[in-house]
Formats: sequence, C-alpha cells, structure tokens
Amino acid sequence: MDELDRRILNEIQKSFPIVSDPWEEVGTRLGVSGDEVFSRVKRLAGEGLIRRIGAVFDPVKLGFASTLCAARVPEDRLEAFVRTVNAFEGVTHNYERDDAWNVWFTVIASSEEELDRVLGEIRGKTGIREILDLRSTRKFKIDATFEL
Amino acid sequence: MDRNRKKRRLAGLIQGSLPLERRPFRFLAEQAGLTEEEVLSGIGEWKREGIVRKFGAVLRHREAGFGENAMVLWAVPPDRREEAGRVFASFPEVSHCYERTPAFEGRYVLYTMVHGRGKPLEEIVSEMARRAGIGDFRILKTVREFKKTSMRYFP
Repeated sequence: MDELDRRILNEIQKSFPIVSDPWEEVGTRLGVSGDEVFSRVKRLAGEGLIRRIGAVFDPVKLGFASTLCAARVPEDRLEAFVRTVNAFEGVTHNYERDDAWNVWFTVIASSEEELDRVLGEIRGKTGIREILDLRSTRKFKIDATFEL
Repeated sequence: MDRNRKKRRLAGLIQGSLPLERRPFRFLAEQAGLTEEEVLSGIGEWKREGIVRKFGAVLRHREAGFGENAMVLWAVPPDRREEAGRVFASFPEVSHCYERTPAFEGRYVLYTMVHGRGKPLEEIVSEMARRAGIGDFRILKTVREFKKTSMRYFP
C-alpha cells in the first residue's frame, strides 16, 4: 500500500462522493485520474482491505433495537455456542475476549420485543444461562473510520 | 412498482456493497427501477435525515494494519460519565464509546473500543485513564473474531 492508496482509502471512507462518477470526483480531489482511482480501488477490494462500499444505516432511526451481550461459556462448549449464536442474522459482531466473560456479541432486531425474543431463543438453543444483556443508554461516539 | 417500493429496494441494495463499476449509482438505479438522479438524491436525503449514518467504504481494519484492539470497560460514577465519555470519544484510537446498563460486574458502565494502530494498547489506555481521571478499568483484548457482518435491515 503506497501513499496514494492511503489517501484514496481515507477519502472514500470519510467523504465518498454521491455523484454519477465518484472515482473521477475522488481523482479530482487527489490530483489523479478517475481511471487511476478506479483501478486502485478494485485492487484494494481484491486484496480484502475494503469490506464493502455502501450505506451504514442508523438502526434506531429505522426503529430497530440492539444490544451487546457478554456470555460465560466453558471451553468445551465454546465451538457449539459460537456456531449457534452466529447463525442468527441479527448477530453482527461476535468476539472471543480474554476474560471469564469470554464471548461478546451484538444483536440487532426489528423491535425491542423481537430483540427480547431473539435473546430468549439464544439462551434456549445454547443452554448457556450466563448471558448478560447490556443495553446502551448513551452514545458518545460511533465512528468506524480508520484514518490511514 | 410505486416509488416507496423502489426506494426500499434501493435501501436493500446499498445496505450491501456498491458494485465496483465506473458508474456505480447508475448500475444501482437500473436494479432498483429508479433513475440515477433519484438514486443520488435519495441517498443524499437519507444522509441528511440521519437514516444513513455514513455512506462510504468500510475497511477490514485488521487487514489494514490496525493490529491489536480491545474493548475497555470503565467504572465511572454517574456525575462524571458525561465528561469521561467525551474525553474518551476525543481519542482518534477510540471508534466506539457507549454507556450501558446494567453495570458489568456491578461497576463498569462506559465501554470503549480501542484500536492500537501500532501503539501498545496499554499506553493508549493509560493516557485515556489519566485524561479522564478514571483509575478503575478492565481491558478485554480481542482473542478471536467469530463474526463480523453488516446488518441486513431490508429483506
């Protein structure tokens, strides 16, 4: 990854132009051609650096509900637990962390009721009782932009 | 097909990945049965209304060299949460900062996602602790990523 790659990635993360030819517009901003930007973006996507280019919706504005769960899962049941939890479409992030509460995952559902129902189903299907439901009460920052 | 259904279809398309085409919005327009102009103004409108929080590239930050990351939990008394939350949010290494309830282990209420970006995590976290004046925290390092996807809000 060279300096131009980095500048392109910063630009398309922070202010992707919503115009007919966005690559040309990014090129204009960075002083290179649209073709150059377009071929570099394709390469960077091919290398797996770009997960996707698209919209990040605000779940709250869409009436959705979300939460963060922490679970205490014994080592010998970890694999099965993760498989079951990951199968839920509303589970978008799931990580192992170095703590007695070793599995942390997020759940999004179309309403509060649906979220409660999904959590109940996760408890039921996995048989793991120790799952905390940590709802957010204030948001200070959400910014998954990574300046390179 | 009416306009609302077309816009829902557009929402369904942009929740995924923009096709890597020279004219990506024209491509989306064809798929949604809208004009390119309607696609561009529709996305602009959703951005202004805050329905779309961000439109752009989402990186795989681990591949992009952001290395070590951790969730750091902070025990902060109620009257100091607003200030501490703002201090944490001001760090470029912090991508997310939330207050959550109930308190984890009866004490931890503020949650921050911290990305090392080459710097040792402990160093960043102690600077955060110092600036916020909060000494009681827990660093939960990421051991493994089991899943990371974007939510599909529209069927």
